[in-house]
Amino acid sequence: MACRDVEGKILILATESCAYPGADSVGQAHSGYPANTYILRVRAPVMFPEHFYLDCFAKGISGIIVMSCGEECPWEGAYKALADRIDRVYRMMREQGLDIRRLRLTAICTVCNRAFLKEVNQMNEIVQELGPPRAQEAGAGDACAEDGAGQGNNQESP
Amino acid sequence: MSGSRQRKSDRVGVYICHCGGNISDHVDVEKVRADVERIPGVAVARTNMFMCSDPGQELIIEDLRQGIVDRVVVASCAPSLHEATFRSAIARAGANPYIYEHANIREHVSWVLHGDKATAKAEKLVAAAVGKARLLEPLDPIHVEARRHVTVIGAGIAGMTAARLLADRGLEVVLIEKSPYLGGHAARLDRVAPTGERAADLVSELAEAVLEHAAVTVMTSTRLAGFDGYVGNYDLRVRPVLAGPAEDRNGYVPFHGVVGGNPPELTIKTGAVILATGFRSYRPRRGEYGYGDLAGVVTLPEFIRLFSAAERSGDCLVLDGRTIRSVAMIHCVGSRQIPGIHEEDGDGRLNEYCSRTCCSAVLHAACRIRELFAGTRVHDLYRDIRTYGRGQEELYERASKSGVLFHRFTAEAPPLVEPGDGGETGDFPLRLTVRDGLTFGEEVRMGVDLVVLATGMEAGDIDELVAMMKLPVGTDRFLQEVHPKLAPVETSVAGVFLAGTAQAPMTIGEACNGAAAAAVKAASLLGRGYVELDPFVADVDPALCRGTGDCLQACLADGALEMVEVETEEGAARQARVIAARCLGCGACVAVCPTGAIDLKGWSLKQYEAMVDMIVADIPDNA
Repeated sequence: MACRDVEGKILILATESCAYPGADSVGQAHSGYPANTYILRVRAPVMFPEHFYLDCFAKGISGIIVMSCGEECPWEGAYKALADRIDRVYRMMREQGLDIRRLRLTAICTVCNRAFLKEVNQMNEIVQELGPPRAQEAGAGDACAEDGAGQGNNQESP
Repeated sequence: MSGSRQRKSDRVGVYICHCGGNISDHVDVEKVRADVERIPGVAVARTNMFMCSDPGQELIIEDLRQGIVDRVVVASCAPSLHEATFRSAIARAGANPYIYEHANIREHVSWVLHGDKATAKAEKLVAAAVGKARLLEPLDPIHVEARRHVTVIGAGIAGMTAARLLADRGLEVVLIEKSPYLGGHAARLDRVAPTGERAADLVSELAEAVLEHAAVTVMTSTRLAGFDGYVGNYDLRVRPVLAGPAEDRNGYVPFHGVVGGNPPELTIKTGAVILATGFRSYRPRRGEYGYGDLAGVVTLPEFIRLFSAAERSGDCLVLDGRTIRSVAMIHCVGSRQIPGIHEEDGDGRLNEYCSRTCCSAVLHAACRIRELFAGTRVHDLYRDIRTYGRGQEELYERASKSGVLFHRFTAEAPPLVEPGDGGETGDFPLRLTVRDGLTFGEEVRMGVDLVVLATGMEAGDIDELVAMMKLPVGTDRFLQEVHPKLAPVETSVAGVFLAGTAQAPMTIGEACNGAAAAAVKAASLLGRGYVELDPFVADVDPALCRGTGDCLQACLADGALEMVEVETEEGAARQARVIAARCLGCGACVAVCPTGAIDLKGWSLKQYEAMVDMIVADIPDNA
């Protein structure tokens, strides 16, 4: 399943109770965003082990946005476990020389249209800048080396 | 389901919807069909103008019945709208409804992209769905015993209606009310629009019915203190509402006294909850149309109460000893507020919605004044008149015929209410100035004795309840249903329903409609004595489980996983076991299992890996 991908594919893991309907809301508003985005509906992104993210990059996914429910997560404790895991993935990415900006954890609510578009467009700029994922990327682990640098909470007040 | 048991289907059926052009105007659905049909595992790919229509569903049913397909992918709108529709169609074909995967190519593709890019993305999303569908397995819903018992929160018109209907259907009901009274806001009304019935009669009839019904337990001065459990088996902790702060319950409360004893806190075991918590009447800001500053400026609810004790002086209305020769009634106070024009409240919020009931309520009051007190002049100042229901337009006409004078203003130029100065407007205590759109923008000044503000509805003060029950709230701050048309009284919390004005401004009739709908939903949910839950829970593959217990450590639910002794080919061993009814289906355990032995039914890690594989794979181009 090797990938020749000039556009740079962005995988979006969107929670079924917040971010996925949030993406539906963006569609209902007919707000355009880059075509290289593939939204997968997930119950809770806490289910994905560290290797899932690294495998995605190895397969040729250029960027991953984890769109969680943030503090509004219906499962108490899931968000913290997820944030801790993403931190571990960042460490592993740095060990592999992958630019950690390729992975971002954020919170998107069901009406967070602007935040959704901002996240997608920012990630698109990053993957266009970085190109396909490869080990020992130039600049990996420098500017964004702090743990949690890729985490953000974008919840808009409805 | 897990790796050791996995089998890939090679008979996936793909059904692509035009959505009447919503999709096919931007996505070349025929190209998608031709291309995805060449994806390994796809047995057939078809298109239809509306897959959700009967002919569309028949395509799926026919292919399943003939054994052409054993897994189904529908590419159409958001799954929240029609996933249930297609699962149901599959079940009607005699197949398991969980062999289904949905590809969202409308909200996520055709409404945000155009041309070749849209078609290419739609193909990828369908391919990913096929990748998952090949790994789907038939699942059985989880069977959970349910209590045939409903708790209704709020004993206004809606709450009492829901309680009575449920009890009549044979369900046990507890009706909780935080105030000492049954009746809610309706009890503060006199005669109600458009029929002119006495609110007291409506409230009394309903209250009598619930108080006397053997199946209804009424608990007034009671509030919800805790919420736990799951659909069919909720535990609600309730406690009496006390005058003093909670910490003073056993001591002397200054200027109150001593609260007697520990309040009994009890737990109600219930199957479903209906929220009928009502609304809050908008309270004008100080100075808004002179409210709070000028005597003689009142809200409509205040006027209704005054009018119920009206006296007469000749043909004129007398309220509170004051003769009312002329009254002005102003619409849309605290409703239809516009950013940049209206002042935000302390939390920076505006009520941009229409409160829907005030036009008819004002016109009804205006008619009553004119018809009973011909000597009292009524000016009606409105932005738009919205008398939308049965009997309401007639009320508008009746007001006009009874001599009510209408003046139309815009939000940018609201009427000005000032103290009367005895000048051109006469010896009235109040002077009102309005730029009247009905007389081509002429500035009209009038002297009045009374100004009535048609205040709208705001969401009730239920922040604590919202946080406790994790309830969805709309941008207007009212409780939000799952879907305004397809699931109008359901919330995202299974077994929790909405009734009445907790959801939106509505009339008494509409509140009763909502209450009846919620009662039917709750009754049908619990009627069989059990509920069926989606089987999306963790599942352990005994062939792979090494009994590390990591999943127990990661589990977010109490008691959803346990370690058990089992006999294996290598002898006795410890393995994890899932208690399905307690599993939340979050998958926290999946991520930590070192052997991949535990996975989520219907949403497995391997299915996601297959989806990613399809996204990065090249799709053969048939063009």
